[in-house]
Amino acid sequence: MGLLDLWDISLALAALSLAIMTALVVGRFITERRRRNILEQRKLLMPLLLGGKKRTALTELAVPKWLLAALSVELVQLVRGDERAQIAAAATDAGAAAELQRQARRGSARKRASAVEALAYFHDDKSSETLALALSDKSPDVRLAAAMALAESGRAPAAERLMETLGLGVSENSMLIVSLFQKIAAYRPAEIRDLILLPTVPNSVKAAAIDALSASQDYGLVKTINELALRTDPSSEDLPRFLRALGAFSHPGGAPAVRHCLSAPTWWVRAAAAEAAGRIGMSDTAFKLGEMLSDPDWWVRFRAGEALVRLGSEGKTILSRISKGKAEPARSAARLTLAEQGIPA
Amino acid sequence: MIEWQPWVITMATTIAWVVIITGLLQIGLYIVQLVYAAISLANRPPVSRSSLLWQRYSDRAPPIAVLAPAFNEVVTIVESVNSLLSLQYPQMEVVVINDGSTDETLERLIDQFALQPVDRYYDLTVRHAPIRGLYASPRIPNLLVIDKENGGKSDALNAGINVARSPLFCSIDADSILESDALLRAVRPFIEKPDEVIAVGGTIRLANGSDIHAGRVTRVRLPRNFLALVQIVEYLRAFLMARLALSRMQALTVISGAFGLFRRRLVLEVGGYSHGTVGEDMELVIKLHRHMREQEKPYRIEFIPEPVCWTEAPGDLTILGRQRARWQRGSLETFVKHKDMLFNPRYGRIGFLGFGQILVVDVLGPVIEVAGYILVPLLWSVGLLSIEYLLAYLAITFTFGIFVSVATLILEEVELRRFPKPTDLIVLTVVAIVENFGYRQLSNFWRLRGLWQFLRKQQGWGQMTRRGFQRA
Repeated sequence: MGLLDLWDISLALAALSLAIMTALVVGRFITERRRRNILEQRKLLMPLLLGGKKRTALTELAVPKWLLAALSVELVQLVRGDERAQIAAAATDAGAAAELQRQARRGSARKRASAVEALAYFHDDKSSETLALALSDKSPDVRLAAAMALAESGRAPAAERLMETLGLGVSENSMLIVSLFQKIAAYRPAEIRDLILLPTVPNSVKAAAIDALSASQDYGLVKTINELALRTDPSSEDLPRFLRALGAFSHPGGAPAVRHCLSAPTWWVRAAAAEAAGRIGMSDTAFKLGEMLSDPDWWVRFRAGEALVRLGSEGKTILSRISKGKAEPARSAARLTLAEQGIPA
Repeated sequence: MIEWQPWVITMATTIAWVVIITGLLQIGLYIVQLVYAAISLANRPPVSRSSLLWQRYSDRAPPIAVLAPAFNEVVTIVESVNSLLSLQYPQMEVVVINDGSTDETLERLIDQFALQPVDRYYDLTVRHAPIRGLYASPRIPNLLVIDKENGGKSDALNAGINVARSPLFCSIDADSILESDALLRAVRPFIEKPDEVIAVGGTIRLANGSDIHAGRVTRVRLPRNFLALVQIVEYLRAFLMARLALSRMQALTVISGAFGLFRRRLVLEVGGYSHGTVGEDMELVIKLHRHMREQEKPYRIEFIPEPVCWTEAPGDLTILGRQRARWQRGSLETFVKHKDMLFNPRYGRIGFLGFGQILVVDVLGPVIEVAGYILVPLLWSVGLLSIEYLLAYLAITFTFGIFVSVATLILEEVELRRFPKPTDLIVLTVVAIVENFGYRQLSNFWRLRGLWQFLRKQQGWGQMTRRGFQRA
């Protein structure tokens, strides 16, 4: 290739890009005109969908299927309860669900994921079938969206199967797993509970299951989580999640693990343990928490100070004593913790 | 016709080849970036409406501290803070850092938000000028104002990082306008890959000419000012092409200071923002890469293409020239400070792709392009180079330049479509062509000035005049 070819190629590329741009501009003018038409069609379609009209009235309008599907999803998301069911039924009858099922199988991963998310609102057999198929989609985003959609509407497969299909704890570590488990736990809590007990389940998935159940007030979990925390590597990034769950239960059954972790080698575990000690009200750890105000890590000092305040008068007395001492950084930690809480030193 | 000695002709040809090869390298990089950017845009996750984002992510979204450094922002500070407080995010604290303003920025904040002095136990891990006081309002529990001695933007951000308690912080410019769902969009990678994502940058767009109401961009419009128009094309090129592509390659080296989301713990581990550099945003990202690579931990630094932040572009040549010289100085300072990472296998794709890009585009690019403007036509005019060299040089400088800019506009139109009117596209296409004749050369001159300032070790930001956004 000679230098002159460079000139020719660049001219061709510039001309090509300008031609494409011209086509896009022309396309945009046409789209603008069509947009007005679509807005008109939306105006006609909306009252029919909201009124739960049947196929004949809706199909007579001859609107594009994608518009019918998009508007149906928008409306369904705006309402709840019977109204939602009514709109979804009318939309399904008019072919919106079928269009979404088609979109869920074809097109880019982005389009498939959007369609799969929308199918959560359509409870017919074909939609369920499409969602079940989408669990094997090549895109992890589509797979997770399908699982969420199925869980949202009470159609999720067994949690253990989901673990395998989605690669939970292996290739899929999204925080949305907690939301997924929460949705499933709303109607099948035992399945999520079992995940915590199964030895083959990775710790990160157990942590997600614990997070999902920690608001459940199921105190039977405390013993399990306590044992799990005692067994877990003290430098694990999942351990703070176990400790926070124990703190959230505020049950003395979690005390052994929390007490053990107050001396962990990693700051994130010590900080989480200090926080949990305060929430559980472990007054026997007050002295240790006072010592932790000298920890080299700020988060540990901060959480220890917070915990001492939570322990009540005993903790506040320790904070007050340390705030009058000379040893830094404990003195500043104690003084400012008290000041921040509006407690006189 | 003069009969030149063979060695003179060889020298002229060598110069022309250096100029052409460097230009080709740049063009090659841009074309690769365009391909990666197109793939990235086509594969990005669904762009949901704000209400859906809230429904999906609000339960899992980690707390964020929004750090807004302010220096002499008395005109705009109240509106900026109100705009930040109205962001849609479940757990958010707005931390305004008054960086020793000499006007009444602090007084205006105290009056407007009924602030009172408070005590707070905060970290002292990263270095910054002394904090004079903290202020909060019982009325607005998620607003905290730090009053500190002047130390510059990076110093102010360091103070904010120390005082903040959220696992994530978002650094912004106090006069930036964030989209109301910007944080929800930007936090998505942290939720989806919590073990790996350590920082996320978002697209910055220019609000010049757009309608702004109550701290929000309500209607996107193009400005009438030519300089602002050219900068719109430049920003599209920088964000939609370069940053998106580098993020896809996992070699992103810059997250704009106007909007970036970071894992606080890791920023503390690398010592926060560095002092004594005007490219502190770029340097922080490089420090994070270095830290994670040296620790051999898996990590990701992501970029999201949805526009999340609007800012004001300089509308006159003097201020724009200063800004561009400063950016160039910032890049060079960071490059030199971390030069051991260049082509160093220990730093993987950052050493090769990230630093390779800085070397070709920022370090060598402007010097060689300006040398080309002077030498290639001159050597051709005196008969030392044939017409082929001149045409090849013109191809690289102008027609490929037009191709790259227009290709970015195509990406914008096909994937994002944020410019509402078809005529906007025509205007931007014309600007993408015209900018190659005059503005591009001027921009290179400003970058050379930045190089000169860097070589003379000149510090400081130069004077930037804030006009505030033009309201609708």
